[in-house]
Amino acid sequence: MYRSAWGVKIVRVALLMALVLVAASCGVGQQPSQGGSGGGGPKKICMMPKLVGIPYFNASEKGAEEAAKDLGVELVYDGPTEAKAALQSQMIEQYIQQQCGAITVAANDPDALAPAMKKADEAGIATGAWDADVAKDARDVFVNQATFDAIGKELVDVMAEQTGGKGEFLVVTGSLTAPNQVAWLKAMREHMKSEYPDMSIASVEPGEEDLQLSLDITKNYLRANPDTAGVFGITSVSLPGAAEAVEQEGLEDDVAVTGLGVPSDMKPYVNSGAVDKFVLWNPVDLGYLAVHVANAQIEGNLPKSGTFKAGRLGKVELLAEDEVLLCPPLVFTEKNIGEYDF
Amino acid sequence: MSAATAVLRRFKFSREVVLLGVLIVLMFVMSLLSPLFFTVGNLLNTSRFFVEVGLMALGMTLIIITGGIDLSVGSNVALVSVAVGFTYAAGLPLPLAIVFGLVVGLAAGLFNGLFITLLDLHPLVVTLGTFALFQGLAYGLSNAQAVSDFPDWFAYFGQAYFLNVVPGQLFIFILAVVVVWLILSRTRFGRYVYAIGNNEEAAHFSGVPVRRVKLALYSGIGLLVGMAAVIYTSRVYTARGDSGLGLELDVISAVVLGGASIYGGSGTIGGTVLGVLIIATLRNGLVLAGVPSTWQVFVLGVLLLVAVFLNEFFRRREE
Amino acid sequence: MSEVQAPTPTEGGTTIGTGLRRWLVRPEAPALVFLAVLLVAFSLSSDKFLSGSNLESILVSVAVLGTIALAVNQVILCGEIDISTGSMMGLCAVAAGAVATSTGGLILPLLTGVAVGALAGAVNGLLATLGRIPSIIVTLGMLYALRGVILLVTGGSWITGIPDETRVLGTGSVLGIEYPVFVLLILFVVMELVSRHSTWGRNVFAVGGNRRASRLAGLPIDRVRFTAFVLVGVFVGIASIIYLGRAGSVQTNTGTGLELQVVAAVVIGGTSISGGRGSTLAALTGAVLIGVILNGLILLGVPGIWQDAVLGALILLAVATDVLRRRLLGDKS
Repeated sequence: MYRSAWGVKIVRVALLMALVLVAASCGVGQQPSQGGSGGGGPKKICMMPKLVGIPYFNASEKGAEEAAKDLGVELVYDGPTEAKAALQSQMIEQYIQQQCGAITVAANDPDALAPAMKKADEAGIATGAWDADVAKDARDVFVNQATFDAIGKELVDVMAEQTGGKGEFLVVTGSLTAPNQVAWLKAMREHMKSEYPDMSIASVEPGEEDLQLSLDITKNYLRANPDTAGVFGITSVSLPGAAEAVEQEGLEDDVAVTGLGVPSDMKPYVNSGAVDKFVLWNPVDLGYLAVHVANAQIEGNLPKSGTFKAGRLGKVELLAEDEVLLCPPLVFTEKNIGEYDF
Repeated sequence: MSAATAVLRRFKFSREVVLLGVLIVLMFVMSLLSPLFFTVGNLLNTSRFFVEVGLMALGMTLIIITGGIDLSVGSNVALVSVAVGFTYAAGLPLPLAIVFGLVVGLAAGLFNGLFITLLDLHPLVVTLGTFALFQGLAYGLSNAQAVSDFPDWFAYFGQAYFLNVVPGQLFIFILAVVVVWLILSRTRFGRYVYAIGNNEEAAHFSGVPVRRVKLALYSGIGLLVGMAAVIYTSRVYTARGDSGLGLELDVISAVVLGGASIYGGSGTIGGTVLGVLIIATLRNGLVLAGVPSTWQVFVLGVLLLVAVFLNEFFRRREE
Repeated sequence: MSEVQAPTPTEGGTTIGTGLRRWLVRPEAPALVFLAVLLVAFSLSSDKFLSGSNLESILVSVAVLGTIALAVNQVILCGEIDISTGSMMGLCAVAAGAVATSTGGLILPLLTGVAVGALAGAVNGLLATLGRIPSIIVTLGMLYALRGVILLVTGGSWITGIPDETRVLGTGSVLGIEYPVFVLLILFVVMELVSRHSTWGRNVFAVGGNRRASRLAGLPIDRVRFTAFVLVGVFVGIASIIYLGRAGSVQTNTGTGLELQVVAAVVIGGTSISGGRGSTLAALTGAVLIGVILNGLILLGVPGIWQDAVLGALILLAVATDVLRRRLLGDKS
């Protein structure tokens, strides 16, 4: 009986260990750019999107990997599976342990990530943000895709074109705290007040980067408010959701839909007429630029003003000592949507 | 009964030795997968994460020993976090806001307990309902916003270091472990807990105040949740309605991994603590080894299944 | 609204009186009453509520929920629980969507979805019966494990461009009734017949009502439970095709949170969580009730962030009402 008790224990330990080893070893192969040397090896750039699993951030990952290969640096690109700041904060702490040379993050909440980023800074890691900023004192540089004003203005202009410059609008955003979305909303409201006083935003609803939720929100809102002139979907998830909702309700001709979207997702809606035009920038280029900036931070040769040479993007402008600008926003229509493969 | 309890005692002891062995082997494996794992800085950093799960796991152990379960702990964390942050933002002095948060956690647990005991309802469905209710309240009351401008001293709970190296909350955790262990193994209350788990009807007829014990357990975990939530909010320095989501999986996994039978009647604090350590080590090690977060979700789910399966399989063989 | 006479075989212990009392004792009674009250209340407070299109859209929105609830109802009736259906739905949608975008059509994606669902359900069933793991733990672990599988299989990308022919069950209509509603009603009838008139269906009630007695009576308990879990997988597969039709694409987090709504629907509708008491109508009523409430809340302008709180409160209200009702009516079971 004593011997069998030991046998039982050994088998138990062995089984559990086998499980862990299998799971871990399967997973280790997944990150091709993760080397084993850690300390004195190639520079490591740790990049975090708001969440993984949506086409927009998959596109930026492609650009980031391209830049990492060009520069010969190691790239770790990972994020939480939901757009939650608390999960990002935890991952940043773990990135610190991974001895990254630079950490750059697209924030779900500017203040929630500040303590973790500050700790990274204290550990000697170059800190940066991209796509959505963290608190200014928590990072050294911010890679912005386009100025908030330019994005807000373009969105409103595109909508005004389709609605004759008046009406009440629904905005479906991602989360009510994401700093870039908050900034765009502010720019949109200001632009409406100054250029199109007959346009106003009636309601802002968070779609939580969930397609079905954005769809349901739009549908229900349009049913409850049939006089709505148009819907802004200001994230790459809420725009297709809103467009699908308008299509299913058969309101393509009555309700204008525009916002920020990824061409590959939006093709069916542009073809069906639910969406005439929408706005974006190139997320592949954004990821590419973010890695270049992080690399320059590590090497210590990021300029404080003027322009910065970023690989195949050429000269990129610095808006301020701590802000790098990608480009003016792009407007996609039926005519040019076929030219892009993201 | 003494021969049986002697066997029982050796049975419990041997399980903990096995878990310790698992933990050591696991740490060895993790350090192979990443040389960064076995540094003092990393190990202590990991301990920050597991204090929150650990505090709740202590309370969950007692509940699972009685054959119950509490699925609402994660959502309760969110509720307390919002309670602390938003009352503070509304003008309440922060110390009072923290106390209010602890009270909210306790009250939420008490709410669970009352529903379960007064109405004789299954804890599974009650806590499933409160899982949604607390989360919804946290999200709705905070209006999907967040509170971040706490005074500097608030970071003390979640981010402080003693002697520049040891995380502050580790002491709170060790204290809680000792207290709960004493309660479970050295007091009459602890024996009531085991009695209820072994056979609730028999315990009732032997004079065990079943209802009051259960009420105390669910309220108790509510208080522990409150503490964990305050530490958590201090660590991320933000009060949000989506704090603590998914923590119930880690908590229940830790308790089950630690050897507690999900049917009730057995389980120890030592086992739970080891279970918490194993899960924290696994999570941390996987990240350091470069395993993407998408894999971690999968591994944890599989781990829970395997752990329970092994527990029950070997338990039946030993009977 | 449906058949009233056939007394459920599980109303043990009640002193069944006449007419009203007999009706009140039925498990679906409180839910149906509540539904009627809500319909009246909402139509009084919003004139948009009682329009044909709004009512139909309520049914469409709960088609996925209701389909899955019909099957989970059986699992709960036999004394188990399944909270993995959200991730299961996501996985079936991914599988069906992948097939749809490569080969098109309707039958092939449907079969794929059903097969994947049945497989996942079988895993649940095996772990719960042979593995002797409590179903709450099995399905909790599977909830996370399957979500992980989805993330791995899709690599984080969405599946878009589902062809129109695959989306028929989500967007088309027949005889003036939208397909999702049509499918839901057909499945309801099928499930009701199976539950009341098949050996398995009656065994489900027996096993859930008194497992020890069932074992002593020689019923194949493990097979009964296993079949229930597999059936959930099949229904989830069907539901995923409806979802594909309505959403037009599959995200990596498709189905998240659905498992809670499904259990809520079953429990709110009147099926008892301890097993052995309930009906197929309860599951359908519960799903419709949830749809009505969520729709009504939006029409009343209640912000969407309160939905979870309402859902949780409803679950608690439903189980509390069930207990109180039984105590008042002298049911000692």
